[in-house]
Amino acid sequence: MNDKLLEVKDVYKTFDRVVHALNGVSIEARENEIVGVVGENGAGKSTLMKILVGVYSPDKGELYHKGRRVPFPRNPKEAARRGISIVYQEKGVIPWLKVYQFLFLGHEDKYIKLLTLQMDRMKEQACEILEELHVACKVEAYMHELPLSTQKKIEIARAILGVRLESEDGETTPIIILDEPTAPLTDNECKEMFRDLLKMKKNASFIFISHIIPEVMEYTDRVHVLRDGNLVAQYDLSEEKMTEEDLFRAIVGRKSSEYISRAEDREVAGKEVVLSAKNLTKRGHFYDVSFDLHRGNCIGFFGPAGSGKSKIIRTIAGLMNHDEGQLTAKDQELKADELPHERLSRGIGYFSGETGKELFLNWSIAKNISIINMKKILGKIIPVIQFKTERKMAENIVQKLEIKAPSVRTDCYSLSGGNKQKVSVGKWLERNPDILLLDDPTIGIDVGSREDIYEVLLEMKKKDISMILVSDEPKEYSILCDNIMFVMDGRVQKVLGPEEFRKVMST
Amino acid sequence: MNNQNTNKRIFSVITQTLKMHPVIIVLLALIVIFGSIYPDRFFSPINFKSILRQFVTLTLFALGPSFVVLTGRLDLSFVGVWMLGGVFVWLFKPILGMFAIIMIPVVGVATGLFIGVIQTKAKIPSFILTLSLLVTYTGLSALIAGGYPRAVEGYEFITSPLIPLIPTAFLLTIPIIAAAIFLMKYTRICVYLNAIGSNEEGAQLAGINVDKYKILAFMLSGLFTGIGAMILFQHLGGSAQMELKLNTIVWPLVAIVLGGTPLTGGSGGPQRTLLGAITFTVFYRGLYLSALHPIMVPLLVGVLLIVSIIISARGLKGVTVT
Amino acid sequence: MIQEKVMTRPKLSLEWLRSIMTNVGPFIFVIAVVTIFQLINPFFLSYQGIITLIYAMSYFLIAACGLTFVILTGSFDFSVPSVLRLSALICVLYIEKIGLLVIPLALVACLVIGFVNGLLLAKFKVPSFLATLGISIVLEGIAWYLTKGHLALMQNETFRSLATFFIAGFPSTLYWGMGVWIICTFVALVTPFGRRIYAVGGNLEGAGLSDINVARHRIYVFMLSGFLSGLAGVLYMSQMGGGSVRIGAEMAIPLFASVVAGGTALTGGVGGPHRTLLGVIIITWIQAGMAMLAIGQDIQMLTFGLIAIGMSIATIERKRIKIVK
Repeated sequence: MNDKLLEVKDVYKTFDRVVHALNGVSIEARENEIVGVVGENGAGKSTLMKILVGVYSPDKGELYHKGRRVPFPRNPKEAARRGISIVYQEKGVIPWLKVYQFLFLGHEDKYIKLLTLQMDRMKEQACEILEELHVACKVEAYMHELPLSTQKKIEIARAILGVRLESEDGETTPIIILDEPTAPLTDNECKEMFRDLLKMKKNASFIFISHIIPEVMEYTDRVHVLRDGNLVAQYDLSEEKMTEEDLFRAIVGRKSSEYISRAEDREVAGKEVVLSAKNLTKRGHFYDVSFDLHRGNCIGFFGPAGSGKSKIIRTIAGLMNHDEGQLTAKDQELKADELPHERLSRGIGYFSGETGKELFLNWSIAKNISIINMKKILGKIIPVIQFKTERKMAENIVQKLEIKAPSVRTDCYSLSGGNKQKVSVGKWLERNPDILLLDDPTIGIDVGSREDIYEVLLEMKKKDISMILVSDEPKEYSILCDNIMFVMDGRVQKVLGPEEFRKVMST
Repeated sequence: MNNQNTNKRIFSVITQTLKMHPVIIVLLALIVIFGSIYPDRFFSPINFKSILRQFVTLTLFALGPSFVVLTGRLDLSFVGVWMLGGVFVWLFKPILGMFAIIMIPVVGVATGLFIGVIQTKAKIPSFILTLSLLVTYTGLSALIAGGYPRAVEGYEFITSPLIPLIPTAFLLTIPIIAAAIFLMKYTRICVYLNAIGSNEEGAQLAGINVDKYKILAFMLSGLFTGIGAMILFQHLGGSAQMELKLNTIVWPLVAIVLGGTPLTGGSGGPQRTLLGAITFTVFYRGLYLSALHPIMVPLLVGVLLIVSIIISARGLKGVTVT
Repeated sequence: MIQEKVMTRPKLSLEWLRSIMTNVGPFIFVIAVVTIFQLINPFFLSYQGIITLIYAMSYFLIAACGLTFVILTGSFDFSVPSVLRLSALICVLYIEKIGLLVIPLALVACLVIGFVNGLLLAKFKVPSFLATLGISIVLEGIAWYLTKGHLALMQNETFRSLATFFIAGFPSTLYWGMGVWIICTFVALVTPFGRRIYAVGGNLEGAGLSDINVARHRIYVFMLSGFLSGLAGVLYMSQMGGGSVRIGAEMAIPLFASVVAGGTALTGGVGGPHRTLLGVIIITWIQAGMAMLAIGQDIQMLTFGLIAIGMSIATIERKRIKIVK
């Protein structure tokens, strides 16, 4: 068992008194190891890492370095002095800088003599470190000219370099945080990168954030599992025998009693197909997705974050374009470059749980509901907005969904998360599209509101509205879906019915 | 053997430079075109001198804003700095004597500081902020000066001729250009400004104090404009112009974009602006020599601006533009 | 340290102040302006004074309404003064040849210019202020070309009566101005088109997800702005009786100031033509008042510049924008 290098104890972080990102999380990283931190979106991984690197400051918590209590770093430079550095998942690269400029970004003060940058020295050292880490490229090249995997490797080099430059005693073992590093890499490049990482283990420790379970299982020595801001499990992979499904369940949570399907038995035979996909592909994201969606049915795309499920639903919505394959709705092919509003005119609505995107928060409830139901509130003779009709329509919805608000004129700003979601669902209930795409419909809202929303969705199903669901809550799939497609690495691995799904998800 | 190698290297250096700065091709093309149409007038000493004079004015106004454009923002206040600075010189001459001319860079830097702070704290789009400030300065300068341009004596030495054919102002501009290029190549300021323009979030994540450098960009802009205006002060007749002409405000922008610095920032900088300035000057002088002036010229300048923006906006895929 | 902010309701703070400024500020301004000037010069609100104000205000209001629609979607139209100028010049220069047909000609031309502006933004992704800036320079060139720098005079009596014909004691331009304003307000608040405009400005992504063809609507607002600027130009020429390339020379900032002073924020989605009326009243009356006090153009520029900056700061919804360029 290696020595403890860095230990974080009982970290709490809340944003704006409302968003509890971290509730008493403790993790530790030891010398010469790769430790994994895994969890779903919103589990708190990013927040924790940003605290370690000095971008955020925690509300409560303690930090220990080699057993000694130290203050949390106040900025990335201080963190680097302590040996902690990070390679971000995205937005870490500055496209228009040259490689050597990027490598030393933020640390130029070590290379200044008489107010000028010693560029020759910088370029020399850049060459050295790139060679050391087996990165083949010209130091004068612009970052955006290089392939993504090389960019990622340069980011790692930059992190290591940062620690070396800033650390006072030169003895500090760098702790490099890798935030989902393999996203842009091909399989071969991944293998290469991990091979290099394993070699680097003797000089550094790595905190590896990921949700790609096979990688975590293979390359990490220990694993912390975060869920909803809490540390729910910790495994030592060298000692314990775990399967991938064990890890998956730990991440996603097991609540077997909640998996009772509430979807009634639906007769598929004889019901028309409203949406069909054949070999739908978007290079780099998902491949060969095929399905037939029958009227009144709900298909779920289930899988770990990064599996491609969100991309699939967003492509159907028109937010992304597919590269290959066919998407057909009611015998009409949907062209790849259509925008969401065109898809909507074909009867495909897209509902996202992110109310910031879905709703016009400084508008009233009534206006939010009417914006996609304009036809219903216009006058017969002159097509202007009939405010009375608009109000009645909104009041109807508010009553049906039990939305708690003083009146339909209230701004959505002031509603609670659950009520905001209800307004969102309400507008779709009114709209009655043929197909409704649900992208994380209940993210971040309380249990009570969730149940209410499920009720509404089931009612819509009864009205023959077909749905496609993507979510991080397995329970939702059980409740709503007739068929669940399990997606991993961008491909549909298997198709499950609700009963089988329940069996897979519970003990 | 050696000769061949050196030739090859020179060749590759030239092709590299041309690829990086396609505006050079435009410049050469313009020279060839105008040179063949009006060989005597274009290559005359008078024209040469005019080109240099205009180049000086344009460059001195365009260098400062180049720093700001690197970060993806705009600074349209430069004419205002020149005007207000000029008025301040007149105002302070009795008190400070010859040193009154320092007021111009002072105004420039103060303006830059003000703009930078408001931009970062109050989040007003730089375009409207600097434009409004420009208008305010115009009013302010007219107010202080009492409504008409005030001549200031004593600074004639700035533009007294030293070398035949070459305006002295041009000679004085050379150190300013050198300073800008120095900042660009040898300090981390431009690396940081580039980073901010290229990926502001990433720059912040890398630990750069983005707000500080944004303010610094505006202050540099004000400083360079201010110093430039000291020369221009005399170069353009000893006192500042009271009128605001939309056209002339836009020329430095055209020089910047033409030179190859995209308005979204992230690459380019003062050295490219120089190329843009000389190209634009040649373009303008060439048109001037033809029978089209003064009617078609503003039109063509506008078209040039739009075309350059469209070309440089090609790289804006996926960015939300308002 | 970066602190991420979640959108919460405005509390007693800067947000609240911003809200007040946007909603109530303009009213207070108007009352203040009128009171101050009336105190200084009792003839301010005399019949003659009011007529002067009406002439200053009406065409300005129409142009400002056009600009308002563009700002509502979160864009900016810098070409309004130039379009106004072009329209006015087309009228005066061709009325001899084609009579009153100049009016539809001018309006169509302005519509087309608006379309080009919108296209530059929606298809070519040129930021709107730059696109319209470039267009306005081109238009200035065209104006020079058409007039050769000379002053042109409008002799046609029919045309002149468009704006100056007195009905019920007031010049017809008042009715034009108010009529257009009422229509614009109606369109903005009561038609589905208006609702969609607010949606595009309020939440661009959400609008795209809500059955709105965002690109098309952005082009529409620029066309609307062009058309209204053209209309304003026609009325201007009718009222002034002549002009040159100098028309609209210093209109840009007061125009912008009046939209912002009325409470329409640069971020879009808030405000509207109904508020612009207040802003126009404030600005034109300040202008008239200052002229009356023989305050020079310079101080006027100063004032409007400050108002523009000040009101922008006061009304921008800071929480909505993360990175501002």
